[in-house]
Amino acid sequence: MGGLSVKHIRAWCLTLALIALLFLIVMPLLQIFIQSVYVDEKFQWDAPFRTLAASPFAGVLFSSIWLGICVIAGTTVLALPLAWIMSNTRLAHWRWLDVVLLIPFMTPPYIGSMGWILFMQKNGYLEQLFPNLHFLTPSFFSLGGMVMIMSLHLFPFLYLLLRGALVRIGGSLEEAGAVMGGGFLYRFRRIILPLLLSAYGMGALLIFVKTIAEFGTPATFGRRIGYEVMTSEIHKYISSWPIDFGKATSMASVLLTACLLMWYAQSVINRKFTYRLVGGKGSRPSRLRISGWTTGLSVAFILLLLIASIGIPYFSILSASTMKLRGMGLAWDNLTLDSYKELLSWGSESMEALLNSVFLSLGASTLAVVLGTWFALVIGGSRTRIQRTVDAFSLLPNTVPGIVMVVGLILWWNSPWMPIPLYNTYGMVILTYVILFVPYTVQYVKSAFTQVDTGLFQAGQVFGGRPSYIFRRIVLPLIVPGMLAGWMMTFTIASRELVGSLLILPPSVQTSATYIFAQFEQGQVSLGMAMAVISVGMTTLLLILIESLNSQRKWK
Amino acid sequence: MMNRHIFRTGWKKGTMLALTLTFGLAVAGCGTATTSKDEAQTTGSAGQAEAASTDQKLVVYSAGPDGLAKKLVAGYEAQSGVKVELFQGTTGKILARMEAEKTNPVADVVVLASLPSVQGLKKEGLTLPYPDAKNADKLNPDWSDKEGNYFSTSASALGIAYNTKLVKTPPTSWADLAKPEYKDQVNIPDPSLSGSALDFMTGYLSAKGDGGWTLFEQYKANGVAMAGANQEALDPVITGAKGVVVAAVDYMTYKAKAKGEPIDIVYPTEGTVISPRPAAILKSTQHEQNAKAFIDYLLSEEAQKLVADASLLPGRTDVKADKRANLDEIPLLKTNWEWMGEHGSDVTEKFTQMFK
Repeated sequence: MGGLSVKHIRAWCLTLALIALLFLIVMPLLQIFIQSVYVDEKFQWDAPFRTLAASPFAGVLFSSIWLGICVIAGTTVLALPLAWIMSNTRLAHWRWLDVVLLIPFMTPPYIGSMGWILFMQKNGYLEQLFPNLHFLTPSFFSLGGMVMIMSLHLFPFLYLLLRGALVRIGGSLEEAGAVMGGGFLYRFRRIILPLLLSAYGMGALLIFVKTIAEFGTPATFGRRIGYEVMTSEIHKYISSWPIDFGKATSMASVLLTACLLMWYAQSVINRKFTYRLVGGKGSRPSRLRISGWTTGLSVAFILLLLIASIGIPYFSILSASTMKLRGMGLAWDNLTLDSYKELLSWGSESMEALLNSVFLSLGASTLAVVLGTWFALVIGGSRTRIQRTVDAFSLLPNTVPGIVMVVGLILWWNSPWMPIPLYNTYGMVILTYVILFVPYTVQYVKSAFTQVDTGLFQAGQVFGGRPSYIFRRIVLPLIVPGMLAGWMMTFTIASRELVGSLLILPPSVQTSATYIFAQFEQGQVSLGMAMAVISVGMTTLLLILIESLNSQRKWK
Repeated sequence: MMNRHIFRTGWKKGTMLALTLTFGLAVAGCGTATTSKDEAQTTGSAGQAEAASTDQKLVVYSAGPDGLAKKLVAGYEAQSGVKVELFQGTTGKILARMEAEKTNPVADVVVLASLPSVQGLKKEGLTLPYPDAKNADKLNPDWSDKEGNYFSTSASALGIAYNTKLVKTPPTSWADLAKPEYKDQVNIPDPSLSGSALDFMTGYLSAKGDGGWTLFEQYKANGVAMAGANQEALDPVITGAKGVVVAAVDYMTYKAKAKGEPIDIVYPTEGTVISPRPAAILKSTQHEQNAKAFIDYLLSEEAQKLVADASLLPGRTDVKADKRANLDEIPLLKTNWEWMGEHGSDVTEKFTQMFK
């Protein structure tokens, strides 16, 4: 292998990734920008600026950013203690918790919010169960309530990243600190915090971006309390007469710029604070951080978290799904399983929607993992400018509101000159999911890969391992957990994806999410909620299956 | 440094090739999945050139209600043997999809829940006139286009829906809801999300002049809350979180009432607004004959009965509904559709600002 050919191959791989990204992600988004500067088929470069000046835009932007910051704070309060508990105490053996804690994240945000609304509103379930607690209602329907709902939905995300980092830090570094006489707080400040910062930065950024790009909760809860954000404003321009893509895309580009700035700040932090932690020596959890009373406190914390993130919303969802008459409220004689019977009858529309969701998400998650791993490996440590460009491009879908990305995709794939007839087929739906969710795999694999010490590769090489052998026996085992996490994440989110599906599904095709949405629109709340229970239940079962297979392999 | 590059790129080369290959195959796989659609399209355009009888496809974008749209499509399919692809959504979703598909339109027929939006389509020259539609003369002339650009095959009326457990004596006038007993009890749908709510507002203003805004100012002062689209505004009233929806779409209320929910609707005595639901053929259609036949079907007695069964007002004046109030039983305001179409966006803006 001569130096020249290596350079060639390297450049070739990067270029190929760049071309794929340009074709799949950048060009569709460019279509949007083009649309925003062409008003009435005339080129007007200043159109976006005029739009922004004319709309009550600064206030909405501020609302979005403030919400994002509050939700970062909220998720941190929930995820940091949890990650610490699950990496340092005996509770870490509760592997099932990892799967259970994914339930809030798998619950579609607008369903979770609906659950909370049904529970907390006037004459809601809380008031029906405990009439004395009705004074809570006004304080819940506020920005604080919205932040709480969104934090409870998003915290598993941050938790997974933080726990991964804490496990990788292991005990030896901290023990070294203790041997040298450092107290707990000192060790936390000087050893754990710096090592955690890169994972936290990445997690916080993702939370921020997810929050300001989220549509479901602002559309259900935010509308209730009159809290308008960028996505609800964009959605307004894009879905009510008169449709104005120009205004929507102008706003979307500002949102995009805000997110890219955040991304830049994060990548600076990341480069400064990334350390090679996975070395040749194995790691074990620190024994220093465990003491008797913490266990009790930890159990209480987890219990409370489970009640708030799963117990309350699912109580509402289950109640609503089994109710004969919604106007009658909670009562034993108002209970029925008819909705489930109707949903699960073979050959019914709902069954078809459910199967569609499963197959589409399976296809999408598999393809997304392949693509995402490729991108993540190409990006590597994002040392060169091209690598950083690939990094930025592959994360774009996570920084653009889903609805904007989807409109871009429609414009791109349905243009008259597009030779690949993908539009209005199942392939288009799969592609849309892949593009929307490929950043997850990229993030997870990158996070696993950048912390692998190059010493491991050198060791493999010293012992005569060929590149393919090194990849198979050293790199792959280390990034497989990242790939699996990406696959799971993509599958679960794709199976509940709503905004994109609403616009991109071929006529006559429904998924479980669009089915639920349609039921709410038609006033069949019980049917919609029953479908939510079934689809979330199904994905949870699948995850339990994977998790148990995985741990069996690990321990045998 | 160089060393690292060599082995890194070395193993990368292999994987990269494999990954690229997989990706290529996957895209190719998606490609093959689409062939059936291609064939359908080619036969479609070829059929048009020869004779209409070989053209067996039609794409319909329809606003709800869900069950009715499906029944109408099934009825038409059974009668004609044509395979219909149905996309369902709110009027907004349909318009957004049409806008995104502007350069390469897919839909042949659209059924919307708002007259001003179809008037907009006509103005932009997107509709295909079909003046010879069968039974078009039996339609209510106020709701449809004289040149045959659109046909309102059904309609809903706006009223006051209320929870029968919470409201014992129903209000009889729009002004009643500004009274203290309804303080913080009333929902109104968001006109930027509900075409029918907008129809009510513009209709009321076109009948009352600028003085009409006084009513909405009183509403605001009495704590009336703007709450999403129609169903979102109605749901809290069904569960008892709120007592009343003003400008409620009547067929949704009738449907909930038929299920047994504690809810009912009244039409205020000073009159209300009807919100017609127009169907139109798009000029870009590739299945013109089928599209025309579909319009004919929507105007047929069979289809109009299905409309009436779904608790909507039939578009034809000679078909009566037995599950709801008929047109002659609903007091109407003197509305001006032209004014309503022109002032829709101003009214939406002023109203949403006011109720924020």
